[in-house]
Amino acid sequence: MIWVTWRQHRAQILLTAAFLAALGLLLLGSAIEATLYVSGHAAPGCPGSAPACAPLEVALGERYDAIYSIFGWMPLVLPALIGAFWGAPLLGREYERGTHRLAWTQAVPVWRWLAVKLAVLGGVVVAGGLLLSLMVSLWRPVFRAGIESSFGNVGVFNMVGVAPAAWWLYAFALGTLAGTVLRRTMPAMALVVAGVAVTMFTLFALSEHYATPERVVLSDTTVLADPDARLVGATWVDPSGREIDSPGAEVCPRRVDAGRSNRNTEAWEKCLFGKGYGYAVSYHPPTMFWRFQWTEAGILLLASGVMGGLAVRRTLRRTA
Amino acid sequence: MRPPVLEATGLGVRYRRGWALRDCSLALPAGRVAALVGPNGAGKTTLMHAAVGLLAPARGSVVVRGQAAFVAQDKPLYETFTVAEMLTFGRRTNLRWDQPAALKRLAGLDIPLDRKVGRLSGGQQAQVALTIALARTPDLLVLDEPLANLDPVARHDVMRAIMAEVAEHGLSVLLSSHVVSDLEETCDWLVVLNGGRLQVSGDIEDLLAGHLVLTGPAELAGTLTGAGGSMGRVQVVAASRTARQVRMLVRGEPPLDPRWRARQPGLDELVMGYLRSPESVALPGLAQVGR
Repeated sequence: MIWVTWRQHRAQILLTAAFLAALGLLLLGSAIEATLYVSGHAAPGCPGSAPACAPLEVALGERYDAIYSIFGWMPLVLPALIGAFWGAPLLGREYERGTHRLAWTQAVPVWRWLAVKLAVLGGVVVAGGLLLSLMVSLWRPVFRAGIESSFGNVGVFNMVGVAPAAWWLYAFALGTLAGTVLRRTMPAMALVVAGVAVTMFTLFALSEHYATPERVVLSDTTVLADPDARLVGATWVDPSGREIDSPGAEVCPRRVDAGRSNRNTEAWEKCLFGKGYGYAVSYHPPTMFWRFQWTEAGILLLASGVMGGLAVRRTLRRTA
Repeated sequence: MRPPVLEATGLGVRYRRGWALRDCSLALPAGRVAALVGPNGAGKTTLMHAAVGLLAPARGSVVVRGQAAFVAQDKPLYETFTVAEMLTFGRRTNLRWDQPAALKRLAGLDIPLDRKVGRLSGGQQAQVALTIALARTPDLLVLDEPLANLDPVARHDVMRAIMAEVAEHGLSVLLSSHVVSDLEETCDWLVVLNGGRLQVSGDIEDLLAGHLVLTGPAELAGTLTGAGGSMGRVQVVAASRTARQVRMLVRGEPPLDPRWRARQPGLDELVMGYLRSPESVALPGLAQVGR
């Protein structure tokens, strides 16, 4: 049965492997180039926070952005592709071509046929996702020493840790179920793409509830010190400690900024802080990284299990 | 005597639209080539799918003694596989597998092993599908419309291949068709399904010997089709009349009245007679009563 699984799905497996290999080479090349650049151009003590290091940081940032623009779309597109080309045809194409009547009338019981396929392909999908995460995690620190964004930036967050593996598996299970229900490949593929997109935005909206946010009252700025935090909400607090929607004009007059200038807003904020107002920010700190990773992975794994179970049940119910 | 190779008891299968097969009880003797005939939508495919486990019956049961190999309608194969890979597929998904016999069959048919299945002709694809089924050395071979979409030469070749296997290995065959003439020379058991119900199941020779086509003046029809459609030793299956003549398919012995002309029906006539009158049945249990 493993040979059958390999023979039927080798195109997807080889294509995914080739993609990961190409991406790995690209990341490796870019990391080597950046390392050489740093060793050739870095002033003593750089990279670091010294002002002399700024040009180096800009050059590294440009290199990072060039590659990031290539894989910035990957958190959304890769799961969609996995679902469409690994999941949807798994049962959808068998039904579409009538070959399920060939496969399921051999001596191998249907449950074994399905179990081997789901286990082998699901395992390879998870391994592929983890490999992607590993490559990205090894590559990023070369450019981003000291500038962390793997928590605050959802795109990066979904490319590191266990998130890619969980997303790939989820998309695979969704595609398998769609193929079983619709019994045709193309509509199942379309459903997967839509389903992955909807799930991603839903989970992003839900993610602020993964933990109780921390709250801090700032008394001299409206910007959090940690740029990698995830902002949940912010509000002004009057001198007595009450949260208010917006301080009235009678407290501090506010004038509209012209163009891209922040001058008037900053003056208004300074006036408020001077009168004892505070700015309360609730946020998730980057230390929540693994809690968020495992919460999201848990939700996705549970959903994959349910969808996989439904696909199995529908298949074994035998309604040819 | 060997026990029946396939036995259905009170078998009922329903789809969302309604019953595809109702109250179907039937036993196929081992070592026979049984023809399953009936109009489109009669439930032939449903009965076969239930027999090979592709469908779970809603009522009753169907049991195959030994191993069944199935070739579905349209002979599904993996089109991107080569012929050799299709054989590997069969070997990997079966415990009983006769690879030398399969290779010999394909060599005899001049089907190249390295050719992609999708590039074979329809007749060759049918032969590959049949080869995979036969390599499993099944006790019962179930073929759904094995001759559909084949040209006359390919039809003949497929039929001859099936007959050779039966003669050599003594396996039982159940094959469906809606063209009765395809089956006349090869099958020795007849199963007629109509509207999801079983109408006829019996040895073809016995059935033909037990039925008569009577032709006579129209006014005589009443003497046969008296009370309840039967009179004495004759049971009318179907009748068609013109202004002066009546022609009937009957079961039983020839009538004494010399104005009737009697002859044995052909398989075609027998099947058509039953399909035209769905209320007539010829099943083993009832056959005893008719004699």
